[in-house]
Amino acid sequence: MEERIVKFIAALRAAGVRISLAESTDAFRAVESLGVKDRELFRLSLLSTLVKDASGRPIFEELFPIFFGSSEMPPMLNISEDLTPEEAEMIAQGLRKVNESLRKLVDKLMNGDPLTQDELERLARMVGLNQADDLRYREWMTQRMKKALHFKEVQEALQELANTLAELGMDRERIEQMQKLLQANQNALEDQLRQFAGQRIAENMGERPPDEGLDNLFNRPFNSLSDRDMERLRKEVQRLAAALKTRVALRQKRAKNGQLDAKATIRANIKHGSVPIELRHREHTQKPKLVVICDISTSMRYCSELMLSLLYALQDQISKTYSFAFIDHLEYISPDFERKSSNEAVAQVLDRIPTGYYNTDLGNSLNDFSKNYLDKVDSRTTLIVVGDGRNNYNNPRVDLFRTISRRSRRAIWLTPEPPLLWGSGDSDMLKYALDCDTILQASNLTELTTAVDKLLLG
Amino acid sequence: MTTTQRFDSPRELKVALGQQQYIASDEIATIMYLSQELGKPLLTEGPAGVGKTELAKAIAGATKRELIRLQCYEGLDETKALYEWEYAKQLLYTQLLRDKLQETLAGTDNLGAAADRLAQEEDVFFSMRFLLQRPLLKAILSEQPTVLLIDEIDRADAEFEAFLLEVLSDFQVSVPELGTLAAIHRPLVILTSNNTRELSEALKRRCLYLFIDYPSIEQEMAVVRLKVPELSAKMARQAVELVQSLRSMDLRKSPSISETLDWAKALVALNATVLDSATLETTLSVLLKHESDLQRARRWLQRPASGPNLSDGSDTQTPRWRN
Repeated sequence: MEERIVKFIAALRAAGVRISLAESTDAFRAVESLGVKDRELFRLSLLSTLVKDASGRPIFEELFPIFFGSSEMPPMLNISEDLTPEEAEMIAQGLRKVNESLRKLVDKLMNGDPLTQDELERLARMVGLNQADDLRYREWMTQRMKKALHFKEVQEALQELANTLAELGMDRERIEQMQKLLQANQNALEDQLRQFAGQRIAENMGERPPDEGLDNLFNRPFNSLSDRDMERLRKEVQRLAAALKTRVALRQKRAKNGQLDAKATIRANIKHGSVPIELRHREHTQKPKLVVICDISTSMRYCSELMLSLLYALQDQISKTYSFAFIDHLEYISPDFERKSSNEAVAQVLDRIPTGYYNTDLGNSLNDFSKNYLDKVDSRTTLIVVGDGRNNYNNPRVDLFRTISRRSRRAIWLTPEPPLLWGSGDSDMLKYALDCDTILQASNLTELTTAVDKLLLG
Repeated sequence: MTTTQRFDSPRELKVALGQQQYIASDEIATIMYLSQELGKPLLTEGPAGVGKTELAKAIAGATKRELIRLQCYEGLDETKALYEWEYAKQLLYTQLLRDKLQETLAGTDNLGAAADRLAQEEDVFFSMRFLLQRPLLKAILSEQPTVLLIDEIDRADAEFEAFLLEVLSDFQVSVPELGTLAAIHRPLVILTSNNTRELSEALKRRCLYLFIDYPSIEQEMAVVRLKVPELSAKMARQAVELVQSLRSMDLRKSPSISETLDWAKALVALNATVLDSATLETTLSVLLKHESDLQRARRWLQRPASGPNLSDGSDTQTPRWRN
C-alpha cells in the first residue's frame, strides 16, 4: 500500500501538483490515523494533505481512482456455468464456426475470465503503452488495445453465434439474456483495459525524468517555441511571479509622511529621559498603481499568452492594477482575472477576444481609454503598454498617448521587438517612443525577467 | 477547569458540529478531524460567505475551547498580532517607583554597585506584567487549550505570512527580553482565505487544505431550515432554488450562504407566503449587493415563462467581439 501511495504522489508531481517531502510525510501520518479501510476517508486524508490548491484538485480526482479504484470494478459473470447440457451442446456447435484466432477471447467472455497480468503486459508492449506518459493518451491506448484484441471481430462473431443459436432452435428469451450477459462482460473487460491503461500511464508519468534544459529555454525568442516549450515556459512565468511576490514587498518604496508615531517616539526617547529629541514618524508604504494595456493582436499572439500570465501575476501582487487588452478596441480585463487560476484566466481572455485579420488599432483603443478610463491614471500610476506598436497604418493617436503618459508617474513600454525593427513597416514604435520614460525589450524569458525587475524598481 | 473535548472519529466530530448548528459535510468533518489528530493548522479556502469563519466558531463551541480571533488586514504586523511592550505602563511604573528605586540603591557605595543592583531589578520592567499579549501570543500562552482563528490571511502582507511560519510550525515565539515562549497546549489553528491572492507555498505546506465551495441544494436547505426554522419548508425550498440558480449566473458577486440566511430572515420578517414578483422586487437587494447584478437578476426574473435553468439566458453572454 505504501508503495502505491508513493507512486501516486510521484504521478501527482508529474502531472504538475507541487508536493513537498513534508507534505508526503503528512499524507502518511494522516493515512495512519484514519486507516485505509474506508475509501472516502482515505481519499480525504490524501486530498487534504497533498493538494493545497483548487487547481490541483481535478488532477487528484482524475488520478485517485486510477491508483486506488480497482476494487470497484464489477466482476465478470460466468455464463457457461448455468447452462443446461442441451444449451451447452448448441453453443459448442455454434462456437465451432468461430474463427480460431478469436476463439480465446470469446471463451473468456463466455466463462467470465478477466485478462491475466501476462496478457495485459503483452498488450501493453504491442500498443506501446509503456512509452505513453500523458493521461490524454488513455482513451486512445484503450482503443488500441481493444483493436489488438480484435474486439470488433469478436462482437461480430458473437452476433453470428446468436443467429446460429436461433437457427438451432434455442429459446429467444434465453438468447437475449445471454447476449446481455456477454455485453456486460465485454464492458467489464473494456473497463479492465481502461483501468490498466490509466495505471500504467500514471506510473510512467511518475518515472519520467524531470525536464531539463530550462536555461536554453530562457534565451530562446518567444516566436520559436513549440507548444511543449510554451507549457514549460508558462510554469516558469508562474515561478517568476512567485519570486516577484517576495521582491515586490522589498522594493516598494518606503516613504515617510508627516504623521508622528507617538509610541515609537516614546520608545526611542526613553534613553533621553523621555525628552523627545528623536522624532519618529509613521512608516507609510507607498503602494504602486498600475495601468497595463496589452496588445493581443495577431502579430503579438505568439507571446500574448505569456504576457497575459504576467499581467495576471502583477494583478495578483499589486491590488491596484487595471488591466486592459486590445486588438481593434479596448477591453477591461481585470474582472476576468479575479478568483481564477492563471491558466483559466488567460484562456478566458483569449477566448473573449479572438484575433481578427489585420485589424490592430492602438489609436482607437487609446481613444476608448481616454474616453472611459482616463481617471484610472493619476500621478501615482505607472502606465505599462505591452505591444509591438504595429498599428496596421491606422492613426497612431500619439496625441492621446502623450496625454495619458503625462498624467502618469511613469510610462513604460514593453516590446518583443529589437530597436532595429522599430519604425519598419507598419510599426509606429518610434512615434510612441518619444513619450515613454522607458522602453524595455522582452523577446525571451531572461529579458522579460529583467524587464519585470526594472518595472518594480520605480 | 472545564474539560476540552477530543474526538475519536470524524463521525463524532460531525455530530458535535451539528450540535453547534453547523452542518458539516463529511469532507469538512474528516479534514477537521485530521487537523486535530496531526496537530496541523487547517487552511480553508473558498468564496466569501460559505461558512469558513463559522466553522472555527463551531469547532470552538464543540471542543469547548476559547476562540481567539486574529483578523488580518493590509499592514498588520507583529506588534498587532503577537505582542507589544506596554511603554506607557512601564514609564508610569518607573515614575511611581522612583522612591523605592532610590531606597534600593541607597546602600551602594559606588556607581558600579548601584548599576549591578539595578540590573538585578531590571527584569521587573521586562516581565510578563508589561507584555501586552496580542492574539497569537495569547493562543500560545493560554492555560486552557484554545482555537486560534486567523481570518482572511490573504489580506495580510506577504511579510506577515512569512512571520506566521515560525508560529504555525513550532508553536513558539521568541521575545528577545524573555526568551522563547513555547505553547503549553497546541491550539487548533484555522486559517481562512478568500483566495484574493495566492498564498505562499511555504505556508500551504504547513497546513492541511480544505476547499469549501457553495453547498448543494440539499445542504443549503438543511442550513436554512436549521437557522431560520420559521420559514416554511416550501418557501425555503423555493428560496434556495432561486439562490442556487442566481449563483449559476455570471454575477459580480454571487449570493453566499449568509446572504441566503439574511434573505430567509427578511422573508420571515415580511410574512411572505409566496415568492411573487412584488416580494422579490423588495427583498432582492438583500441577496445582491451590486446595482448591475440586481438589474440583471430583475431582467431575468421578469422574462416570461423561464425554465428552471437560469444560466442559459442570453443576457449572461458577453457581447461578441467585433472583428
